[in-house]
Amino acid sequence: MKHITRRRALVGVGAAVTAGTGLAPRRATAAGELQVWWTQGFYKAENDAVIAWMADWEKRNNTKVNLTIMNGPDVITKLIAAMQVGDVPDVVHTVTGDRFLVPRAAWNDQLEDVSDVVESQKAEFTETALISARLYNAKQKKSSYYGVPTKASSLLNSLWLPLIEEAGFAVTDVPGTQDKFYDFFQTVQDKLRSKGKRIFGLGYSMAAKEADAGNLFHQFLVSYGGVGIVTPDGKLGIDDPAVRKAAITSLERLTTPFKKGYVPPGAINWGDVDNNNAFFAKQIVMTPNATISIAAAQMDKPDLYYKEIITRGPPLGNDGKPVASVLAIAPTIIPKGSKNVDSAKALLRDFIQPANMNAYLKETRARYLPVMASIVKNDPYWTDPKDPHRPVAVDMGLVKPTVPWWMSYNPAYSAVLSEQIWPQAAANITQRGMTAEQATEEAAKRIKQLFEQYQK
Amino acid sequence: MTQRWMRGHRRARALNSIGVWLLSSVLLIWTLLPIYNIIRVSMQEKEEVLSTSVFPVAPSPHAFEVVFRQTFWLLETFWNQMGNSFFIGIVVAFLTLAIGTLASFTISRMRIRNGWMLTNAALLTYVIPMSFLAIPFYGIMGKYGLTNNPLAVIAVEVTFATPYAIFIFQQYSASIPFELDEAARIDGASPPQIFFRIYLPLMAPALVAIGTYALLLSWNEYLYAFLLLSGGKVVTVPVTLGKFLVGDEAPWNYLMAAAIIYAIPPLLIYYGVRRKMHGGLTMGGVKG
Repeated sequence: MKHITRRRALVGVGAAVTAGTGLAPRRATAAGELQVWWTQGFYKAENDAVIAWMADWEKRNNTKVNLTIMNGPDVITKLIAAMQVGDVPDVVHTVTGDRFLVPRAAWNDQLEDVSDVVESQKAEFTETALISARLYNAKQKKSSYYGVPTKASSLLNSLWLPLIEEAGFAVTDVPGTQDKFYDFFQTVQDKLRSKGKRIFGLGYSMAAKEADAGNLFHQFLVSYGGVGIVTPDGKLGIDDPAVRKAAITSLERLTTPFKKGYVPPGAINWGDVDNNNAFFAKQIVMTPNATISIAAAQMDKPDLYYKEIITRGPPLGNDGKPVASVLAIAPTIIPKGSKNVDSAKALLRDFIQPANMNAYLKETRARYLPVMASIVKNDPYWTDPKDPHRPVAVDMGLVKPTVPWWMSYNPAYSAVLSEQIWPQAAANITQRGMTAEQATEEAAKRIKQLFEQYQK
Repeated sequence: MTQRWMRGHRRARALNSIGVWLLSSVLLIWTLLPIYNIIRVSMQEKEEVLSTSVFPVAPSPHAFEVVFRQTFWLLETFWNQMGNSFFIGIVVAFLTLAIGTLASFTISRMRIRNGWMLTNAALLTYVIPMSFLAIPFYGIMGKYGLTNNPLAVIAVEVTFATPYAIFIFQQYSASIPFELDEAARIDGASPPQIFFRIYLPLMAPALVAIGTYALLLSWNEYLYAFLLLSGGKVVTVPVTLGKFLVGDEAPWNYLMAAAIIYAIPPLLIYYGVRRKMHGGLTMGGVKG
């Protein structure tokens, strides 16, 4: 056998390494092939609808679409990584991106301006949808459309009718105003407990993670008069006495029932799915949810869907006046650096044709609402009076007053949500014994710091 | 006096034993309870998973059947993904062993100058947490066209497993007498012959330990698998299990059944090679 010296072995290894590192970098994506990242649906049919539509578009336009469906948080994480290294997909649809990523990405000039796409259907979009998609780009010093409004959702309440009846009440006994509405379920719990049932009257997340706890806090904030926490010109209103009072009241009204045992103790660590599970297990009488997914998941069980689960919108204010729903608009975006901007825009232009949007949204079982009023007007599916849930959601999201999430006015509020400042304030009250005033003051300090980073 | 001391001593020992038993019981329950809960949930229907009952309500193997037959939409490519996990795990284990043994052989047996620097430099990579390197790795893989390719995850996992492998192999090989190499060399053996015929057979316990470590590292990997791979047929099982937790309605029973099935191969591997693995790891630990 030939003797291999140490030097020869090292030279061989060195040559192999040199050859390896000398490989010219290349891209995985073929030129012209559209890379699309889409948030996973809650039902198979939802994904299938996107897959079928993309396949159809592919055929009609002779452009290959490489569609990847991922869960919501993963889309955001992966997109952040992609934007950091400059190897981005061409189209991204992210359900919570409007709150956690898109406004800041627009501010940092990381998104393509899609005004021409939005303009193609501008007359169709609702006002709140347009406000949500119009964002400020600090580098180019302009506001423009950096996302295409795709679907909407607002907070609703799911109630178990059999549990309400077991407590000796009828559905007509459920009060319609803010404080009375939430207090009612505490009374229901007391009645059920007196019958030996270990059931909680209220079932909302108290966790400083994911979206549910923040959704409820902000709906409370609007209900108590704090809608001006960020004004349309992007100014922070946390020092406005009305806003400050609303924030304090919201925190008090959310934490007091928890401290008194009307909310499951585990809610301190609930993810967005856990209130649904607790509801299905009949551990709670009511739960707020960002969509009608609780009822929609039981659509194949007519007794549950039509008789036992009730959907209610946010209650009226304590003064009996309607309260605007905070409407989240899930956007579809084109990250800057996309190699196929024209094709990506063509795809989006086609997707937002009202007929296409309607077909897609119906497959979500109306879990998400259209962002175009004409869809609801022209298709009786959305307002079917026999359906006990869908028209309620439509009423709240498209008929009654809505307000956009505040990061549309200033991306700093997206950082406020990412840092879970308000759920953390609630935790400061329940876990660290702070008063609502102290917790609000601490939250306000941090929010001011964040806003300083986003000065136009 | 002595009798009293003996009695006191016996009492102290008895108390000590009780304490040990109590602590052990608490630790045992603490450890086994989540595992029991996984099994309990996997044997219940979706509506019952949050029931407060200690025992499964109407236990049934339905969830396992669903996973085996891939009849739930999130699990429709489960076995394909299991194959991906296997492929990535086995290739990572093989490459880690190949690179680790060759490097440690070169450093410790061929005695290259300043070889210790290579070992220490490799170990330095552990100073930076794996997650911090996610974005740079994503960029590198993108540049080389490796995103959405299992090779990307393999490359990352091998990168993270190799420094530890080199360290353990080097420590372990110190226990193999150099006289064996010298005798072989006098008999005309070349370095590759020494490597394959003397070094590798004597390193068997360390190879088993590090091979298992590398396989388990990639088996449980989530961050890089989801970041570098996309699409139902390419991803590994952990990425799919993650998809269960983002819907408004999580079918916990299917999730737990899938998790149990996914945990079986590493358990079998671990218990199959446990004895050799301990030998390999402890040997590596005592030599400095």
